[in-house]
Amino acid sequence: MAKHSLFDLAVTVNGTRYERAVEPRTLLSDFLRHDLGLTGTHVGCEHGVCGACTVLLDGRPARSCLLFAVQVHGHEVATVEGLGTIENLHPIQEAFREAHGLQCGFCTPGILMTVVPFLEQNPDPSEREIREAISGNLCRCTGYQHVVDAVKLAAGKMRT
Amino acid sequence: MKIEGEYTFDGPREDVWEMVRDPEVLVTCLPGTQSLKLVGKNEYEGEMAVRIGPIGGVFSGRLLVSDEVPPESCTLTAEGKGKPGFVNGTGKVQLVQQGENKTLMTYAGEVQIGGRLAGVGQRMIDTVSKSMIRQGLGVLDDAIKARVMAKADSKAVPYTPPSETEFAAAVAKDVAGGLLSARLVVWIAVAAIVVFLAVLVWLGVR
Amino acid sequence: MTKQIIGKRIRRNEDPRLLTGQALFVDDVEIPGMLHAAFVRSDYAHARLLGIDVSAARKRPGVVAVFTAEDMGNDWQPGPPLVSPPPTAKDVVFHSRRQVPLVKDKVRHAGEAIAVVIAESRYIAEDAVEDVLVQLEPLEAVIDLEKGLQAGSPLVHDDLESNLAAHLRQKKGDYEAARDRADLVIKRRIVIERGAAAAMENRGVVAHWDEKSKSLTVWDTTQAPIPIRNGLATRLGLSENQVRVIAPFIGGGFGPKMMMFYPEEMLIPWVSMKLSRPIKWIEDRRENFYATTQERGQIHDAEIALSGDGRVLGLMDVFLHDTGAYDPYGLTIPLNTQCHLMGPYDIRNFTSDVSVVFTNKTLVTPVRGAGRAQGIFIIERLLDIAARELGIDLVEIRKRNLIPPDAFPYEHTIIDQAFAPLVLDSGNYWPVMEKAREMVGYAQFVKDEQPRLRAEGRCVGIGITPFIESTGVGPYEGARVTIQADGKIFVATGYGTQGQGHFTTFAQIVAEQLGATVSDVHIVTGDTAEFHWGTGTFASRGVVVAGNAIHAASSMVRQKVLRLAGKILETPEEELELAEGLVRLADMPQKSISLAELAVLANPLRGAVQPGTEPGLEATAYFGPQFGATAFGTHAMILEIDPETMMIDIKRYITVEDCGTVINPLILEGQIHGGVSMGIGNAYYEKLHFGENGQLLNASFADYLVPSSTEMPRIEVGHVETNAPFNELGAKGVGEAGAIPVPALFAQAIENAFYDRGLEILEMPLSPNRLFELLNEEKSQ
Repeated sequence: MAKHSLFDLAVTVNGTRYERAVEPRTLLSDFLRHDLGLTGTHVGCEHGVCGACTVLLDGRPARSCLLFAVQVHGHEVATVEGLGTIENLHPIQEAFREAHGLQCGFCTPGILMTVVPFLEQNPDPSEREIREAISGNLCRCTGYQHVVDAVKLAAGKMRT
Repeated sequence: MKIEGEYTFDGPREDVWEMVRDPEVLVTCLPGTQSLKLVGKNEYEGEMAVRIGPIGGVFSGRLLVSDEVPPESCTLTAEGKGKPGFVNGTGKVQLVQQGENKTLMTYAGEVQIGGRLAGVGQRMIDTVSKSMIRQGLGVLDDAIKARVMAKADSKAVPYTPPSETEFAAAVAKDVAGGLLSARLVVWIAVAAIVVFLAVLVWLGVR
Repeated sequence: MTKQIIGKRIRRNEDPRLLTGQALFVDDVEIPGMLHAAFVRSDYAHARLLGIDVSAARKRPGVVAVFTAEDMGNDWQPGPPLVSPPPTAKDVVFHSRRQVPLVKDKVRHAGEAIAVVIAESRYIAEDAVEDVLVQLEPLEAVIDLEKGLQAGSPLVHDDLESNLAAHLRQKKGDYEAARDRADLVIKRRIVIERGAAAAMENRGVVAHWDEKSKSLTVWDTTQAPIPIRNGLATRLGLSENQVRVIAPFIGGGFGPKMMMFYPEEMLIPWVSMKLSRPIKWIEDRRENFYATTQERGQIHDAEIALSGDGRVLGLMDVFLHDTGAYDPYGLTIPLNTQCHLMGPYDIRNFTSDVSVVFTNKTLVTPVRGAGRAQGIFIIERLLDIAARELGIDLVEIRKRNLIPPDAFPYEHTIIDQAFAPLVLDSGNYWPVMEKAREMVGYAQFVKDEQPRLRAEGRCVGIGITPFIESTGVGPYEGARVTIQADGKIFVATGYGTQGQGHFTTFAQIVAEQLGATVSDVHIVTGDTAEFHWGTGTFASRGVVVAGNAIHAASSMVRQKVLRLAGKILETPEEELELAEGLVRLADMPQKSISLAELAVLANPLRGAVQPGTEPGLEATAYFGPQFGATAFGTHAMILEIDPETMMIDIKRYITVEDCGTVINPLILEGQIHGGVSMGIGNAYYEKLHFGENGQLLNASFADYLVPSSTEMPRIEVGHVETNAPFNELGAKGVGEAGAIPVPALFAQAIENAFYDRGLEILEMPLSPNRLFELLNEEKSQ
């Protein structure tokens, strides 16, 4: 029975620096959710297909279920909690609300974190481009249509 | 799942039979084998570490040799169980002398695979098993050739069995035809080590 | 009263929390001292349990306990039956066998739970799972429904004589006589395979037994918190008010979370009581494929008798239904299938015979559609084949058989899933079909575009499929509406939500009655401490049953408001109106009083009240429909198939839905889109593959293909509203509608695309591989 020695992790999440001792095998998704209490990032499959766990690692989307927390030592992570607050929604969040781009909301944080860098790179995307951009995020509730509408609406909001 | 095929070894039938029934040989030939011992008449127990990409664990196996007609044929029944799931199989192995230094082995059997391996590894097992077996038998063939040479020269010939990773990479390369990326290829190929385990355990140990 | 709020596309109340990651899902619950559970599960589908050795697991540092069936002693009991056998049907065979908390004698499906490890973290618990040594003697597994019923088959339940779980025959009229006078009889065997609901959130249970207050709180990803609470109380020897079950935000239900008393649900609260510690168990995705229920496996031998002009004289269907290892849900799904075999058609002679079969596979309980899609698939396939043989247009043959609008309520006389006679309450079917036909441009496509595209060598097909959906079934739901002292309205109902927007649609119903703003109406669902009467979220009954209860309670509050305001403003009630959170004179709006003030006045701290006065502005009401409300719809699709890869490109997808009064069109569309995506999955991408020995061969999203955004077309939603006459809101359900006709639609459109290959699709789901195989079979014939 192997003993797991702890690693002194230092990582910046949503602009705040955290220092924690973690087991090397702790997944980033578990670290964010249970060590830091940032439960907005959700776990849907733990094998990297559904995209619900998507966060930004140094600005680029990454599956937090396929990363160990120790792999982000010294890096910057962004989660949905850093995007906006209930009183002050990010324009992308506003757009999702207006277009009914979510139903149960479980896959939504992963989609939002995929859309944020996508719109930065492609501020005026076509429907085809939007569908391809979110094709790595599975949703069982919406059939994607209103999600696509929301992203289009968000793009418009971000451009103004 | 049915497994069947044939392979020609570069050695006389008696040598092939001897090697194949020698647990010391198989332990060194078979990557990941941690132990293999005789626990009853024609019954063996062993442990093998298996890595299949993200799936890994130790398989505890048991093998029964029956219907022995040395050096012609035997029936092997194997059970292997571990974290990745289970593998059960029965197979008949036949050896036919072909010329002075060639032996044709034919094998036919059924394998049942269950657990995580079946649920997640299904695609890989089917495609890779044939290549796995061929590569594995190739390794055994090298060992047999070395022994035959040693006998002829009355001295030991250095023979290094491949490491787990080398073995896996060889199979993967064979399967993928060099088209897939190295990492993916190893991942896929190592999946079939379990099938190889089943087959090689069939081959029998003493 | 013209509707101000009902029918409007109002943004959802619940979204800000969900969008900012501030919504509580079960895995978000953290309680100091909480321990974590992991299960030892069987790799074999059918095996005798010879022994379990947990000693090594118990010794692992960080492991607090390991429990087996033996450790449970007298507390070990199978789950309760969820649905009884139909009391009103004759000659019913029914063997009730329910799932167990932990395997005691024998494993009956791969993934069945054998032992549970409780440790300080899920990581340690999973480590310890590997320490547990389980001795299983593998047995031959029952996989095939027909072989499972043959003499000599291995038995899933050894105390029964065979694997027959239930049998029911329903008759209407005389099919044999109809067949004798028919001009055409078509017989086909149709096979439908299992699919999973695959909600994005896996299941989970957090149980907290507090020894000091002797109270149990359970957070559960359930669609039925109230029955769970009642059942847990009974099982654990507690009184109901000691148990609180909370279904917080749920990441999608779709049916399997309506299954009650899963092994984990029975076990985790028990463990919490045993250890006096909070216990958390969260399912991982692989477990979900084995341990969460599935649905759809059936084999049908169906026969239709028609006259030469395409009128259906009768229908007969003998089918086998796969219930998996246990049958807690009784005959619900097969009854739904039987009730949808006649579709929206006027069929006077009908016989259906179902045998439910135990197999060594995961349990079967309703998944979106709950047996309806299979019934619709059968009738629509038979009509397509008949149309071809009789040379009648596909739409025309249906038109000739639709139940006419003056025939409602239409009594089918067979019984439905609520054990009541099947009555289709209302409908006006042809306009809906016609609208779909127009929207997709059926006539023009078939006449002009399709021949032109075919001449270019392209494989394009068109399909148009009508369907009914039984919705809004009983028994009942309830709600309590309260106007609070701050003027905001608080509504509590037992009807849970898993993303359907109840926090908004229910609020709209209340706001309509009380003249309030939707965002000032606060809905609480899924918490037995707030409301403890109700059954659960299933069978597309939210708006019909819970909505009408909320409507009734709001109306009662409205009456109280008017009465009190009338007194205070010294005005007759008829002259008052409720709007913008105020009660005011319609003709002189300055004369008003706010709901907040009224609420305070209705709850005096001093003085005497009139006898019979109820304090506050609050009312509780229940609604229990006599029979369900039958919704109707039609889907139409144009698709193109690559004849080499069999990959499809859906060019147009139209749905026209008649679900009566629509509360919120935005939410309605969302429900339809989601249903269609599940239907498309069931038609062309999703199939659970079981191997010979009961092994599930595609237990991950890598191999079980849930449609992604690039598989989904843009769906055009058309709408027709036929008021449902038997509930005040005039509403029908729609939650499952999107999924129901899609397999039948795909079969029709794909056959149409390969019109010159004589393809006949008698199975679901298809896939690119399977379609390729079928076409090559046709070729070689």
